[in-house]
Amino acid sequence: MNQQPFSLQGKKILITGASSGIGAQTAITASQMGAILIITGRNKENLFDTLTKLHGAGHVTIETDLCENIESLIDLCDGLDGIVNCAGITKHLPIKFIDKKSIDAVFNINYTAPVLLINQLLKKKKVNAGASIVLLSSLASIYPFKGGALYSGAKAAIDNFSKTIALEFSPQKIRSNTINSGMVRTPLLDGAQETISKEAMDAHEKSYPLGFGETTDIANMVVFLLSDASRWVTGTTIIMDGGLTAGT
Amino acid sequence: MDINELIKNLASEFEFDDPSKLTATTSFRGLKEWSSMHALIIIALVNSEYDVIITGNDLMQISTVQDLFDIIISRKK
Repeated sequence: MNQQPFSLQGKKILITGASSGIGAQTAITASQMGAILIITGRNKENLFDTLTKLHGAGHVTIETDLCENIESLIDLCDGLDGIVNCAGITKHLPIKFIDKKSIDAVFNINYTAPVLLINQLLKKKKVNAGASIVLLSSLASIYPFKGGALYSGAKAAIDNFSKTIALEFSPQKIRSNTINSGMVRTPLLDGAQETISKEAMDAHEKSYPLGFGETTDIANMVVFLLSDASRWVTGTTIIMDGGLTAGT
Repeated sequence: MDINELIKNLASEFEFDDPSKLTATTSFRGLKEWSSMHALIIIALVNSEYDVIITGNDLMQISTVQDLFDIIISRKK
């Protein structure tokens, strides 16, 4: 019996979108718990900045755009015990303004890229039995917002992709779960705030009983889902919203 | 471009039955229908029709349709 079920000691874990926000914090927290990481991101400097904050040794960075090139990333990965997809973008676009280009922009990074990445990692047997996959989804997948048709749709699609992994790979004891979080203080939130204004965002925060979340709140949940402590948790969508949808 | 075209576009996207209620001096937040949705519509309309990026913070700084028109003109490439 594992005496330290919450530890990630010696586990090899791939984290995408690790150059900022939730991905960067998840990398730091996972390394503190003993994980050996492969971290990816589009911004070389930010990725290196994350690397310097990691605990332990043996971590690898790969600067890549998941929508463009995943071949070299797939080749470099081997014997993964965990995959965390944090790469993603948000967009506010009213339904009447949706076009093919905006659908592609939102779905490519939020849905197509993680689906193809995980599909290839599994197909090429880069994932160990008993591994855990964590996909950063959004509260929006079950609780949409005005202007969020594309974003919430892509996240709902990811929720069901995750559940299907859980079903198809249960014989190998590979687990998959999503974290469906409400507003967390990240650069992504700063971007959303630019669109809808600081006043609107401050008013929105008042509807959260515990206020907006911090990146460490999500990182701690990711670590739990990656660890053996959650060995019976798969195919679920974990809502983290500071009580927003508990009721009024 | 002229401001009448902008007014026509806004009235259409806002789904106003009576477009004449929107003029150059109309204050957006003075409209009884005004909501966060209208802000999103303005941002998306200005981007798609005029290829100009404006933000929610920009909208907080302005009041009237004329103000919006002036921003678009000043940022139009």
